[in-house]
Amino acid sequence: MLLIGAWLSVLGSINGEVVMPHQEDIRLMAHLMRRAGFGDTREELEERVSKGYEAVVEELLYPERQPAIDDELLYRFFPGYEGAGALPINQANWVFRMINTQRPLEEKMALFWHQLFATSNSKVDNPLELTRQIAIFREYGLGTYRDLLVEVAKSPAMIFWLDNQGNRDGAINENWGRELLELFSLGVGNYSEDDIREAARAFTGWTIAPKIPRNPYGRFHWLFDYKPEDHDDREKTFLGYTGNFNGEDIVDIIADQPATARFLARHLYRFFVADEPHVASWNITPPVDPEAIELLADAYNESRGDIRSILRALFNSEFFKNARFARVKSPAELIVGTVRMAGNYEGFKPGLNNLALECGWQGQALLNPPSVEGWHTGSEWIDPGVLMRRVNFAARIFGDVSLPGVQAIVKRVLVNVHVEADYSPQAIVEACLDAMGLLEVSRATHSELIVHAEKCGDLPWSTHEEFRATMRNVSKILTLIAASREYQFA
Amino acid sequence: MLTTVAAGRVYDYSYCIGMYSQDGRGFWAPQDFVLGPNGRIYVLSRGVEQLGQRVTKINFDHDFQGQFGSVGEGDGGFVWPRSIDLDRHGRVFLTDEYLNRVTIYSEEGSYRYHWGRSGSGDGQLSGPSGIAFDSQGTVWVVDSLNHRVQSFSQIGEFQSKFGKRGDGDGDLEMPWGICIDRQDNIYVADWGNNRVQKFAPTGELLVKFEGSSAGVGSLKGPSGVAVDSDGDVYVTDWGNHRVQIYAADGQYITALVGDAQEPSPWAQTYIDANPDIIKARRRTDLEPEWRFRRPVAVNVDADDRIIVLESYHHRLQIYNKLKDYEEPLINL
Repeated sequence: MLLIGAWLSVLGSINGEVVMPHQEDIRLMAHLMRRAGFGDTREELEERVSKGYEAVVEELLYPERQPAIDDELLYRFFPGYEGAGALPINQANWVFRMINTQRPLEEKMALFWHQLFATSNSKVDNPLELTRQIAIFREYGLGTYRDLLVEVAKSPAMIFWLDNQGNRDGAINENWGRELLELFSLGVGNYSEDDIREAARAFTGWTIAPKIPRNPYGRFHWLFDYKPEDHDDREKTFLGYTGNFNGEDIVDIIADQPATARFLARHLYRFFVADEPHVASWNITPPVDPEAIELLADAYNESRGDIRSILRALFNSEFFKNARFARVKSPAELIVGTVRMAGNYEGFKPGLNNLALECGWQGQALLNPPSVEGWHTGSEWIDPGVLMRRVNFAARIFGDVSLPGVQAIVKRVLVNVHVEADYSPQAIVEACLDAMGLLEVSRATHSELIVHAEKCGDLPWSTHEEFRATMRNVSKILTLIAASREYQFA
Repeated sequence: MLTTVAAGRVYDYSYCIGMYSQDGRGFWAPQDFVLGPNGRIYVLSRGVEQLGQRVTKINFDHDFQGQFGSVGEGDGGFVWPRSIDLDRHGRVFLTDEYLNRVTIYSEEGSYRYHWGRSGSGDGQLSGPSGIAFDSQGTVWVVDSLNHRVQSFSQIGEFQSKFGKRGDGDGDLEMPWGICIDRQDNIYVADWGNNRVQKFAPTGELLVKFEGSSAGVGSLKGPSGVAVDSDGDVYVTDWGNHRVQIYAADGQYITALVGDAQEPSPWAQTYIDANPDIIKARRRTDLEPEWRFRRPVAVNVDADDRIIVLESYHHRLQIYNKLKDYEEPLINL
């Protein structure tokens, strides 16, 4: 029973009286953190709830107020990560940041922009430059869309990905100009072929400086270069505007378009709120929730494309708060969220590349999306083979009682059950769901969990043998929860 | 500058050794090296995750003499190898900051034994990094995550310790490299406090190397340290990508920033084999390639040659400290 006394602090015991936040507040905060981050532990959720929902939203929206990942410390322990040429190492570098960041929305936005500005190592063949593009998303991802577009247009990885290094006066390459309008801003149906050509002309001369080739001394950064001698400075007409436009002028016009506002709103809705059809079908498939898209588009227009303002409107909206478990977790969300909750890979530990590879095996090879359209999300993340991998991965993690996060969950379950002195299978299952962040499961799943909980008895822990057996039994319930259909949703 | 003249010293860049390689001839994210008898150099590669960890045996003439060790937690394996040194018999002592142990190999690399236990008690280790021997054969290990230095017999018997976490005089914050001079004084790269501290064997603080309050001669995350026959002190200023040089009393002298304008013979072979790389190199400014990037360890040989290991560029750069230098004619 001494152990119980020590663990009571987990519950926030004050003067002997256990103070519990309102369960609905915890559920809502868990929802916010699954979407705006990679999920929180029960303890983290309680701490956030004590600050209030809107205050937490503001905290998330200003990541610069939280400490950044210490790159010097990271590269001391993982010196091979710095300037790494191999894709899995660059992927691991990002996975480390997703797990250990104290700026969850910054990292989540990097993932969002990577999905929108999908740039793939399959062609670029330079994972280091893709990692640098992700850094652009961190730095500019909550600023204005206009500034982000300019930075992306100057990203050497994007230039190479969409062939703009070959876009010169008199030898136009329309690839970047076309995707800029079709996939990065206006969407199909809101521009003409002439607009594509004129946009491409405006970006002539935006290229990559001559670079030190890879090896024999490792990788060297690619650098943006503007070559005025290759730029077409003659008059252009774009979306009804006429002038001697350069690339930034085109971005200025694009950023002011209502179509851009709606396009970005739908992307944000799809990533943060609920699954939507793939972007390729948006010109023929209306939004799931047109009013929500209008609200977000209005926030874009009123803030002149300020991403932070749009996200503030999104996270505080009723449609967001009511969208719990309306999205299938992406592989990165599932893997990082599971590892975070289990307390694995906090700090420095070998094996991160296996987690990074796992993302790929589950269908989301970071830095290597399948095409410029990004990944097909929602139910398209799932096929029978991938589902088995997802289930096995999460179940294996929660079945490992040596992991500190799993131990914390089990202890919390034991304390909850013993404090209430309710050893019924129902109480044990509720305590498990609660300790995993108040997960919500269907009646069918609940019934299955009850069947197993009936084998747990009254969770004895008087001896070491009993304690270990109880740890294993509770861990099995956690494993079953992680294997449930509901765990696949964010 | 290929030749650096400052405060009566002359440092003349000589040549470089090495290149990037996941295996065999070359290094991968090397972290430390040690000079052995007969011109042999042992270079410790950290690699990445499960790849590239090894100790490479070379000499100053670019001869690849083999390699030993690989990733693993069994006897002779390592996970996060950090530093190496040789005892008076030429045996190789290697620290592993993940396994919290010191592994001993023969001169040619056969596994002999290992010692070390995880923890913070006397003789226990947490993130052992720098390792060095004093004149009596005592092993000094930088116990980095315990923020202290401990000494052991060669079979791992605890002998003494000094240092505690903090930023006051004599305190340490995640110290990294270590070297011991001919008087058995101990120099510790106090990584988290951006300084090097020189201690007597008893642990008494003697000198700090950290530059002036105006920032001249400052350090950012120093990783390695060495002393030449004149008592001058060389520090790999890992976070600033340079080597800082100080007089014995801590007075700042000058910096080296890397001068490998000519690729090593190994690197040149790689370049010559690919015409596209030759073309690309002719079109661009190669200075970022020849400057230091993450200089991580430094040693001085019996001839006062200063040898600097770069983690990011996977190579050694070698400088001569000239004793008979004459200034060129000023009116050339």
